[in-house]
Amino acid sequence: MSVLTLPAQPGQETAPPPVPWRRMAWVNGRQHRALLISVPAVLAAVAVFLVVFGLKAHHDYAALVNCPLDPGRQSGACSKMFSNFNSDDWPLANTFAILVQLAPVLIGAFAGAPLLARELETGTYRFAWTQGVGRERLAIAKLVLLGVTLAILAGAFGELFSWFFQPFLWTEQMNRLTETVFDASGIVFPAFTLVAFVIGAFLGMLFRRVIPALAATLGVYLVLRLGAWALRGQYPVTAVTGNADLAGSYGTPGLPGYAWILSTWFTGPGGKPASRPAVNAILGQYQGSPQQKLSLTSTLARQGYTEWTRYIPLSRYWPMQFMEAGWLLVLAVAIGAATVWLVRHRAA
Amino acid sequence: MTVFTPPASGLNRDAGPESRPVPWPGMLWVTWRQHRGLLITVAVVSCAAVAGLVSAGLRIHRDYAQLTACHPAASAACQSMSSFFNGTDWHQGQFVHVAVQAAPVLVAMFAGPPVVARELEARTFHYAWTQGIGRVRWTAVKLALLGSVLTVLAFALSQLLTWFYTPFLSRQGLTVLTPTVFDTSGLSYAGWTLTALCLGAFLGALLRRTLAAMAVTLGVYVGLAALTWFYLRSHYPVRTFWPMQLFEAGWLLTLSAALVAATIWLVRRYAA
Repeated sequence: MSVLTLPAQPGQETAPPPVPWRRMAWVNGRQHRALLISVPAVLAAVAVFLVVFGLKAHHDYAALVNCPLDPGRQSGACSKMFSNFNSDDWPLANTFAILVQLAPVLIGAFAGAPLLARELETGTYRFAWTQGVGRERLAIAKLVLLGVTLAILAGAFGELFSWFFQPFLWTEQMNRLTETVFDASGIVFPAFTLVAFVIGAFLGMLFRRVIPALAATLGVYLVLRLGAWALRGQYPVTAVTGNADLAGSYGTPGLPGYAWILSTWFTGPGGKPASRPAVNAILGQYQGSPQQKLSLTSTLARQGYTEWTRYIPLSRYWPMQFMEAGWLLVLAVAIGAATVWLVRHRAA
Repeated sequence: MTVFTPPASGLNRDAGPESRPVPWPGMLWVTWRQHRGLLITVAVVSCAAVAGLVSAGLRIHRDYAQLTACHPAASAACQSMSSFFNGTDWHQGQFVHVAVQAAPVLVAMFAGPPVVARELEARTFHYAWTQGIGRVRWTAVKLALLGSVLTVLAFALSQLLTWFYTPFLSRQGLTVLTPTVFDTSGLSYAGWTLTALCLGAFLGALLRRTLAAMAVTLGVYVGLAALTWFYLRSHYPVRTFWPMQLFEAGWLLTLSAALVAATIWLVRRYAA
């Protein structure tokens, strides 16, 4: 959108004046002040709770990590500490985790759906869209200013939540690449918030009514999220295939989880693919034996079997974050452009 | 809330002429017309949910029956069945359970606030509240119709979910008193749905703005549910399943009635 700027000549068709950003920001702040006050207020209230509870969880976790996990050497105090962590700290943390999963779509839908649909519903678009600034630029300014504000807020909140959730990764057998953890951290969390917001604005412009747009945003976002999960295993990052004892490394306290496992399979004697019943027989014997002196890997190796794993190592976390945030950002820009196109072609 | 009832003279515009009975067919039609978007969506989603629950539930019950009949448990075939049941089946069960738990507040968020707030926001209350039926009965009848439809649907859904979820209880170390299970069984689920609807209607009348009321409904509901989970239930005077269910349904019903009364009180206060 390059703008040709000529000296203003009255009575002649002139290029639009430069965007009065400062006043546009004021109008935005004024129109959406309830949102701009309530979203930070709610996030701040939750943040206080996360900090207080997070400090307790980190403290409990630090004590837990210093306990031996091996059932043979484990003292009563340690196992009690472990079960307390799972029964007291985890249910509350799990509740928070579920709510944080919903945060992007709730923020996005409540902010995005009324952004333009409210002007249409109440008829104020006749005034707002006929100002000198032009309706497209008004829409762009709204999308950009509010979108960036919400994304920054979400980013900060996601960072805090990631810190809070850290102690539970190991006890709940998760890692930074587990779907729900990956979604709520890094730059992907604000990217999802931004996309939800733009989807809300687009559907609001499409339906021209706030509440149906809000409901539809929830549905569309759910589909997008499930799509992103399905797509994540296909990112062009190097997946590793190996027979290292991944499950064994999980036993080390303080080392949060292992890798993101895409698939596992077994090979039998001679390197040929093993039949499932044969492997199940060994697994059954292993789980049935009361004294598990050997690791599962060495039990399998004794009979000539090897467990193979195709996995994405934790070191690919940031490349994957950039890829996902990248395509989400492209999607957000495309939906934003479609929204502005609808604004341009809607008769005022 | 006693209402002074003079002989019908057309002056008592708040409560409407008491002698005239509620025109149920007419109100039923108005309620349907005003909330048909929501009611159609709920009906379609419910039908899809029932179809999904029944087909997945039949498979899960079959898998569970095969698993419990499998001997010896350490054999390869049994291990394979067990890993499928605890893996694929359980993941599906959890997903369904979370979705069903979110349903009452989602439905109530869209159904409750518009009952009063929409009329105020769109200025249609000038017309709606000056009809012969009277604004109090107008609001009460709409809430009663929406409330009974959604509560009955919620009760039916929770009974179906309880059947669907039973195989997982022993395998996943859950009991009927586990908060998530307790929420979606017995009378509790229907009670929470009704309370969420009444809360939405009340907040709509209080804030007079649909969107704001929707957001606040969600927040208050989550707060109330968390409070019940982590605090209230452990302080009930009863400890077993059915007494606890009755106790919970009782206080939820009382709360719902109080919210409806408060909504009607607010509606009476507004100048039409």
